[in-house]
Amino acid sequence: MDIDIRHIAKLARLEIADSELAQFEQQMKNIVGMVENMPDISDELKPDPNTPMRLREDKAQANKFTREELMKNAPSVKAGCLVVPKTVE
Amino acid sequence: MAIYEKSAAELSAMLDKKEISSAELTKEIFSRINAVEDKVCAYVTLDEENALAQAAEIDRRRAAGEKLSPIAGLPIGIKDNISTKGLRTTCSSRMLENYVPPFDASVMTKLRGAGAVITGKLNMDEFAMGSSTETSYFKKTRNPFDTERIPGGSSGGSAAAVAACEAVMALGSDTGGSIRQPASYCGTVGLKPTYGAVSRYGLVAFASSLDQIGPIARTVEDAAMLLSVICGHDKMDATSAYREYPDFAAQLNGNVSGLKIGIPDEYFGEGIDDEVRDAVMNAAAELEKNGAVLKRISLPSTDYALSSYYIISSAEASSNLARFDGVKYGYRAEEYDGLVDMYEKTRSQGFGAEVKRRIMLGTFVLSSGFFDAYYKKAKLLQRRISAEFTEAFKDVDVIAAPTVPSTAFKIGENMDDPLKMYATDICTVTVNIAGLPAISVPCARKSSQLPIGLQLIGGRFAEQTLLNTAYAYEKIIGGYCLPEL
Repeated sequence: MDIDIRHIAKLARLEIADSELAQFEQQMKNIVGMVENMPDISDELKPDPNTPMRLREDKAQANKFTREELMKNAPSVKAGCLVVPKTVE
Repeated sequence: MAIYEKSAAELSAMLDKKEISSAELTKEIFSRINAVEDKVCAYVTLDEENALAQAAEIDRRRAAGEKLSPIAGLPIGIKDNISTKGLRTTCSSRMLENYVPPFDASVMTKLRGAGAVITGKLNMDEFAMGSSTETSYFKKTRNPFDTERIPGGSSGGSAAAVAACEAVMALGSDTGGSIRQPASYCGTVGLKPTYGAVSRYGLVAFASSLDQIGPIARTVEDAAMLLSVICGHDKMDATSAYREYPDFAAQLNGNVSGLKIGIPDEYFGEGIDDEVRDAVMNAAAELEKNGAVLKRISLPSTDYALSSYYIISSAEASSNLARFDGVKYGYRAEEYDGLVDMYEKTRSQGFGAEVKRRIMLGTFVLSSGFFDAYYKKAKLLQRRISAEFTEAFKDVDVIAAPTVPSTAFKIGENMDDPLKMYATDICTVTVNIAGLPAISVPCARKSSQLPIGLQLIGGRFAEQTLLNTAYAYEKIIGGYCLPEL
């Protein structure tokens, strides 16, 4: 099967250099070739009874983190806000 | 026997009897680290100062007569994808090179509550994607039994550190074999708990429906001790199971009389090296001599497990790793032109090749037009594999299989061939796919041989049975031995 690496990379927000393209393409082909051995199954997909989930109550709670703590790891902060490139013209 | 070689259980007893202090033990472990870390390269970050402070605090509490946990004062290493408050947590990725979590993972809260001394953060495959710890951005960890060889992965740093006695025990994480496989290659004990037994809160997510944190130790008893500390329900993890757990170590008796052990044909066929097959069959025979009953069984969908695993785990990874965009934390590219370009450059520079491959595979199988053919089919196969295990456990208590098809390979040997690398996971992924617990325990071997692991698989929440079977086997053959470094 042909795989459009450029398109997949775009969807995944990755850039693939021209020099790496052929190798990634071949490896993806091999990997997809490997996973294609799966048999056809006509069962219906239902929730797994082994892992029931009990959701917690939807109640507002005070956050244990301060704004400063959470922003300490941000690459760029100004006046208590995260800085990102301009997105609206 | 040097202090650093002693098991956690032995050291715990020594601490209790005040034959050694935690400060002395911690210094001993750090001097061992200084002596061998250059050869093993297990740690990404060492935290000696805090470790000594934690040890001194435990000594003070013990002197004051406080009743302490059996692991109190023991130096324990942590895989670098488990969030440690104030201590850098990199996932061995450039993306998180400078990331310092503002919170502790729930397992860390439990370890600290029990008085563990944290030695530092252990190397791994980048974002836990790999089987050799070679995809780490920082360094290549070496197998203490042959430093030309890989320690396995992705918890390679954890297994190598424990094998080389650079930590008394360690935590790893297992998504497709990442605790058991390196434990097998490094001659240590590694346990992957039942999905939901140990909280994933604070474990940097790779494939959320498969990931579990678990112990790596030199003895089965030590692994049992550490598991008892970390398991239990946690409201911070919606998939955490509501259950009570026994004191696993206290319940070990090594009695396997009448225990039914299943030997699945599919795990001993083509692709399994003769020396591994022989070692595992001999292990089963030893258990039989001690009263266990062996039974041939079949798990027919095993052949499809690797496909199902790589589709499900990569699909989840592509979604989980979407959060790394250079905005709130982590690496950001220096030069870019607009927002989308910033995302693309940040992610392309911040992630290594294997992580990119998995993200692209995951994106592909979830993309429009391919979902039914790949992801949905993989999920249906997951149910079938799981149902086959459920059926098998009606007849047997434990399933015995190799942990890995061969012994540790040379560094660099499989780096250019992802399929060969993925194939090393063939015996371990089924367990994650089915959400089951499994343990790898060292097999008996000749001194010229590299370590080989016996994998024991149990039904959901059958950790005690697994630990007891492994304990019985370890008592027969002797278990861990110190590598020459």
